[in-house]
Amino acid sequence: MSSSRYPVYFVLPAVALYVIFFIIPSISGIAYSFTDWSSYSDEINYIGWQNFQKIFSPSERYLTYIWNTLVFTGLTIVLKTVFGLGLALLLNEGVRRFVNLYRVLIYLPAILPTLVVALIFRSILNPATGLLNNILRFVGLDALALRWLVDPHIAMLSVVAVDTWKGIGYIMVILLAGLQTIPRDYYEAAQIDGAGAWSRFRYITLPLLMPAIMVVTVLNVLYGLRVFDIVYALTNGGPGYATEVISTEIFKAFSKGQYGLGTAVSSILFVILLVAGYFVIRLLERDRNKEGAS
Amino acid sequence: MRKLVLAGGLAMAMAGLATTPGLAQEPVTLTYLTSQGWSLDAHQALAEKFKQETGITIDTQIVPADQYASVLKAKLNSGEGPDIFGSQSGGTEFLNYNVEKTAVDLSGEAWAKLEDPLVAAQATVNGKLYGLTFWDSLGLVWVVNYSKPIFAKYGLTVPKTYEDLKGTCKTLLDNGIQPIFEPFSNGWHHVLWFAEVGPRYEQVKPGLAAQLNANKATFAGNETMRANLTEFKELYDLGCMGPNALSDSWADNTKMLGTGAAAMVVAPLAFPMAVKRDYPDFNPDDVGFFVMPLSDNQILNVNPAGPTMLIYQNSPHIAEAKKYFDFLTRPENIQFFLDNAPEALTMPFPNVKDKFSPAQKAFMEAYKDNRGTVYQTAVTYVVPQWMDMGKDMTALVTEAMSPDDVLDSIDKRRAELAAAARDPAWK
Repeated sequence: MSSSRYPVYFVLPAVALYVIFFIIPSISGIAYSFTDWSSYSDEINYIGWQNFQKIFSPSERYLTYIWNTLVFTGLTIVLKTVFGLGLALLLNEGVRRFVNLYRVLIYLPAILPTLVVALIFRSILNPATGLLNNILRFVGLDALALRWLVDPHIAMLSVVAVDTWKGIGYIMVILLAGLQTIPRDYYEAAQIDGAGAWSRFRYITLPLLMPAIMVVTVLNVLYGLRVFDIVYALTNGGPGYATEVISTEIFKAFSKGQYGLGTAVSSILFVILLVAGYFVIRLLERDRNKEGAS
Repeated sequence: MRKLVLAGGLAMAMAGLATTPGLAQEPVTLTYLTSQGWSLDAHQALAEKFKQETGITIDTQIVPADQYASVLKAKLNSGEGPDIFGSQSGGTEFLNYNVEKTAVDLSGEAWAKLEDPLVAAQATVNGKLYGLTFWDSLGLVWVVNYSKPIFAKYGLTVPKTYEDLKGTCKTLLDNGIQPIFEPFSNGWHHVLWFAEVGPRYEQVKPGLAAQLNANKATFAGNETMRANLTEFKELYDLGCMGPNALSDSWADNTKMLGTGAAAMVVAPLAFPMAVKRDYPDFNPDDVGFFVMPLSDNQILNVNPAGPTMLIYQNSPHIAEAKKYFDFLTRPENIQFFLDNAPEALTMPFPNVKDKFSPAQKAFMEAYKDNRGTVYQTAVTYVVPQWMDMGKDMTALVTEAMSPDDVLDSIDKRRAELAAAARDPAWK
């Protein structure tokens, strides 16, 4: 520290702002989760672990909401990364003409407001009048014309599909940028050595793209665990409670005026994010250390 | 110094501008947040008339019904409520929005003395009137509207029991006609089948509503309620509500009866006029009515509560909002609303010329001595959880919950709401 160019107190304003606007609200949020704070009364009483007992009680549905959130996160990470990578590879190497046009078109859903996307897809996925089922019926695939957003068995998959469609362009752009940093010489050298397309992908593209993949994974984990808008606008957690996730439940608790309960659910989400973040960062660090060692 | 002089000059110029007539007064816009279905064309026409008369714009913001309570609560809780907001009247819904702290006391307004006391009582908390129910709460009873020609064609009579209704549905299904149009997607409509049958629960167990409010009875374990939910699910399973009930929307209600796509719709008594508005060739006399016969109910369900307009306590335009309420409640504007709202048959104000048709009058007359208050109004903590009950009933038909689970769920939420409200009956 003695060799640093600036005195320590230079950092104090930043620390103060961070403590006031991030640390204190977070800690007080956790503190409120142990109270019965609600909009119906000005009194706030300490009630111990009651809110958490309720959340983890088998007679409540909160564990299902946590499970739904994890399912959503897991599926969107895999689908967005796989399809995003596929499209990035295609645009990096496969497609020769109108490349920029394709990039813009694929990225376009990412800049559309979620509400607009949800409204469009609610119309497209309507089982009776929706475009998708009409096309399926037109080509004779009546059996595939499902009740996309209102069948509890597939509603979550439909939400995942719409979210993947919307988010894939963003992931593709990051992976494309990663691909473009890989020197072409490696591929030429590998080709001279007789490496096929799969080997080049497996032993050159994937390892060198790993930092970009890690970035998109972190982004997808954080986005997936906090997902709210697409679920709220597409199904509002329905049919029944089939697509309810942690954030929609937090919103509902707050909008019902059950602030204590809402902060308790938020605190659990905070812990999940903290654990997920810790492991992802550990993974990243391990990757960097490996690179450093080699 | 030069800068100081310039700044001073600028400030003076701005002060001058602010006091110049015409520039000083910005045209006032009142934001009115309401749920889908609570703002009719006739309301909008009156808002336009009000703007022409006073220059005050009513900016009506309509929120989908399944999101309304959440959006409004979020706005009220964040201290950024609209100038006027809508709420179902009835004690517990007002409690949900904490109206004593969020809404303006309107007890002293001139129109408050003219409003029907039964309707005004629903918008009153601790002796203070908090809202204007500019809505047909008295004539608006939700009953099954059925197509007389379809019933006549297949020799069907008005069902008086659940078994009758099931038989009617089977006959219609056998003939390729969707028996009932039941839109689940809005989240609220299908709950009517349960809550509006409240008078039947009361008939089977007199004093039940009072016991529920005193926390001396529960929904769980009530056989009549369990029967209601079981029958509702059976109707769904039989296909009586059509193949797309879960995605059907209430917006299509007039189309379904107007085009003969379905034979029955649970809708207000004035519904035939709304169908005629959308389908001019439709004959309103072709529609008959009967009460929802789940749990063998034969009592007319009445609800003096209804969509009500409240003024936000922190609004900077309380005077203008009160002026709007004064405008609405002028006799000529009440009659204008009644004449232009096909959904309304009468209004809760004196000296209005009602629109009951002979058939509607006869129907109401038939149940004159056989009526009861719906459970969302008779029982506390039901309205605030209306959309949750909608979710429960959707979960019921999709096999995710049983009738007992639904009843348990209602009790649990009532207990939560009562605890939050520090209701002495729950201590």
